[in-house]
Amino acid sequence: MESSERLPRESLLWIFAAQFAALLPQFAMLPLWIVGAWGFAVYWRLEVFRGRRDLPGRTVKLLAVVVAVGGLALSYRQWFALEPMVALLAVSFTLKNLELVSLRDAFLSLLLSYFVAATLFVFEQTIPYAVYGVICVLVITAALAAQTGSAGARPRRALGLSLRLLAQAVPLMVVLFIAMPRLGPLWAVPQNSDAASTGISDSMTPGDFSELSQSDEPALRMSFEGPVPPPEQRYWRGLVYSDFDGRRWSQGFGVDHREGGRVHWKESERPLPEVGPRYRYRVIQEATNSQWLFAMVRPDSPTEGVGETADGRLLKRKPVYSRFAYEVRSWPRETLGEPMPLGDFERRRNLQLPADGNPRTRAWAGEFRDSGLDAEEISARILQFYNRSFVYTLKPPALGEDSVDEFLFGSRQGFCEHFAGSYVFAMRAAGVPARVVAGYQGGEWVEQEQYLLVRQYDAHAWAEIWTPARGWQRVDPTAAVSPERIRDGLQSAAEEEFMGDSLLPLHRISVLNRLRLQWDMINYRWYRAVVSFDREQQESTLQRLLGEISPLRLAIFLLLPVAAVLLGVLAWIWWNGRGTRAPLSSRLYRKFCRRLARAGLERHPGEAPRDFACRVGEQRPELAPMAERITAAFEKAAYAGDPAAEKQLRRLLRRWSVVRGRQ
Amino acid sequence: MISAIVADIGRVLLGKEHQVKLALACLLSRGHLLIEDLPGMGKTTLAHALAQVLGLSYKRVQFTSDMLPADIVGVSIFERDSGEFRFHEGPVFSQLLLADEINRSSPKTQSALLEAMEERQVSVDGETRRLPEPFFVIATQNPLYQSGTFALPESQLDRFLMRISLGYPTREAERALFQGVDPRAQLQQLKPRVDTATLQKLQALVGQVKASDSLLDYLERLVLHTRQSPECAIGLSPRGALALLHAARAWALIHGRGHLLPEDIQAVLPSVAGHRLQSDGGDGSQLVERLMHQVDVIAA
Repeated sequence: MESSERLPRESLLWIFAAQFAALLPQFAMLPLWIVGAWGFAVYWRLEVFRGRRDLPGRTVKLLAVVVAVGGLALSYRQWFALEPMVALLAVSFTLKNLELVSLRDAFLSLLLSYFVAATLFVFEQTIPYAVYGVICVLVITAALAAQTGSAGARPRRALGLSLRLLAQAVPLMVVLFIAMPRLGPLWAVPQNSDAASTGISDSMTPGDFSELSQSDEPALRMSFEGPVPPPEQRYWRGLVYSDFDGRRWSQGFGVDHREGGRVHWKESERPLPEVGPRYRYRVIQEATNSQWLFAMVRPDSPTEGVGETADGRLLKRKPVYSRFAYEVRSWPRETLGEPMPLGDFERRRNLQLPADGNPRTRAWAGEFRDSGLDAEEISARILQFYNRSFVYTLKPPALGEDSVDEFLFGSRQGFCEHFAGSYVFAMRAAGVPARVVAGYQGGEWVEQEQYLLVRQYDAHAWAEIWTPARGWQRVDPTAAVSPERIRDGLQSAAEEEFMGDSLLPLHRISVLNRLRLQWDMINYRWYRAVVSFDREQQESTLQRLLGEISPLRLAIFLLLPVAAVLLGVLAWIWWNGRGTRAPLSSRLYRKFCRRLARAGLERHPGEAPRDFACRVGEQRPELAPMAERITAAFEKAAYAGDPAAEKQLRRLLRRWSVVRGRQ
Repeated sequence: MISAIVADIGRVLLGKEHQVKLALACLLSRGHLLIEDLPGMGKTTLAHALAQVLGLSYKRVQFTSDMLPADIVGVSIFERDSGEFRFHEGPVFSQLLLADEINRSSPKTQSALLEAMEERQVSVDGETRRLPEPFFVIATQNPLYQSGTFALPESQLDRFLMRISLGYPTREAERALFQGVDPRAQLQQLKPRVDTATLQKLQALVGQVKASDSLLDYLERLVLHTRQSPECAIGLSPRGALALLHAARAWALIHGRGHLLPEDIQAVLPSVAGHRLQSDGGDGSQLVERLMHQVDVIAA
């Protein structure tokens, strides 16, 4: 190892700073031992620098690799997922720290840091993380700049250089962002789906939704092309629960596409209604780690990887691990014609009840059936019953074994899932096919940015019943108890209890609410403009910019800004580099030199005028007198400060060209 | 008058007109001269001739390794007659001092002389004594590869305005030397051409030589190039640049001009800059030649 190759202290510290910056946001996701190992490797390397320890030998390094790989295998059972890959990267530069010796090692380590910093965006694409990503790149680039020498390692200088480099790269970055072809992933790396996230789950038990009502996290953001549905129409369907086991409502057999249910992935398989869609909108959905998407009834989506189920919902082929945007067209039920008759299997499924339990409800609903009422009359009776003596509350009392009985004839206090669940139970007991639908209802219209913001506390459950005349239709038993919930949202329906568990009643401070909304607007704009900028948006943007997309125009679009920037830099360098203008006498003398150069007599840069004149005289005696006179005039003008000599020089030069012309 | 001086010395030191002029320019710009050459090349002759022609009091010190600073500066001696100390001036109290083989003495002695050169005064026993005007030191040194030498450090080399070497004479000059009379006899016949007052007037005239903007631009480019060129380990210091300008002015005066030409700078550049620049191996003066060819005389 040569001493000149050794890394100085500053560059070591810079490398560690860059690694730390790249690792910091991953700390939460990486196993703790990697963080510890990184800290230990840094400590060891610093001890090596201080001369207290040696760099590890081959055996120790080999051992470290084995231990690290073993640790990774133990921490992650699944190898081909993103998190183990990120961990592998982190481990690799941790281990590289143990043999960080030459400049080459430093570059390698910093390049790895760039990669680790980039993996951040696989998990998070929010604005704070994007800002952090930029800072990260800034620090890593500064660390690269610091490798050039000890003077470059001073923090201000390195960061300044890094900032300048990145600023210069911005125009190119923007052009590439707009014009770079969006390639689909070459291979699919599954993400770990263990991570819990708030949202609606694939089954419903009493209490689920009141939990969700405590969260004001955004769930969906929607922008509409054309009309916006009125509040009482804003039912965003996500899941349909058909199975009831006495306590839990779940999707049940036959709906999940993995169980052989009917999901139409291809657009050609889906017969679209003949009339045009009533609503066209674009939904940006937060990560849910599950497949279901949210839309109004009878939806259809042209977005790739989105399919439509037989019960009129949208599904994504892969779970929504990060924010996902999709286009939807919806045909509300009323605009459609005759419904399809309900198949045998479907009828049985939507009449299914557990073998026993809740006897009072069964008996009560059985009376309706026996008295020969039709489905809509039975529904009206039940809703009336709710309307008369029920209370809508976020904190319903716990229910026992026969939960429906207890709710209907005992506590009579409940949240949407109680109403929807008991309603569907009663309708089924009365012989009407019915099902529970879960999703979101309502949303906050953001006037400034023209989008609808749906938060987790807008989660809702309602019911659908089937009638031979009209097919499936929506019935919301909650509306019978608390119409404000549907019209104005949860906050006004349960004002006293809303967000009652939060430490500070922040939602009551209007300034904070406004700020929160502002922040959400900024976020929304970020997602629309940057994160969800996919191939379609790219095409439309390019079309707007270029008119028609052709390879030539695309090439011009790509090259023009780059060329413009380069030319600008060139002009700037030229402008700065030309310095002050040479004095007139020098310019005139240069003209003389150029003419002689054309005649084959070139002046060497270091050759003084007098020496040059002598050489001219030697090589071309016929030019000697004039060269002598011009040189003398130039010397007078340039060095003796004789202003008259300048004019003389100019005159001589003019005459001389005539002399040349005669030769 | 100056050409007469040059011609006079030229009669003693044959074929060395350029070096004689350089030595004269050095003296006129109040600088000191370092001559680096092999023994017997006429270093002493040059110094002696200069002193004769310019009418300066001349002393010569042969430096040896056991010399002490007092041997140069002088020493106070107790006199029994008067019963008090009396200062006996050393050889440094002269107008032209030839310090022969300066690199044979110890650094301590060297620095005593060099300090006197810079300050133009010496301090002995707490008393400061001015040296006579004009004060001009011609030091000679043997090439460094010879044994028993103490190399002068850069900081002290910088005190010398110029470093020249005389080199072997041309064939004609050597033939003339063989045929001619003894240079020493010639030396005795030289008459002073100027007196001290005239010499000082000439020195003052050097400062009045005009340096135009174009020329200063050239000087700046040259100096900047020494500082930026990867060939130079150390660039020219501001003192070096100033020395260059002074020497070039004296050179212009010697050639009877009231203004500077780039040729003046080029003529003195190797002598003035050669010992101040350092290259990674190789001679400084060769480096200067190269630099001179790289820098354009005319402003772009």
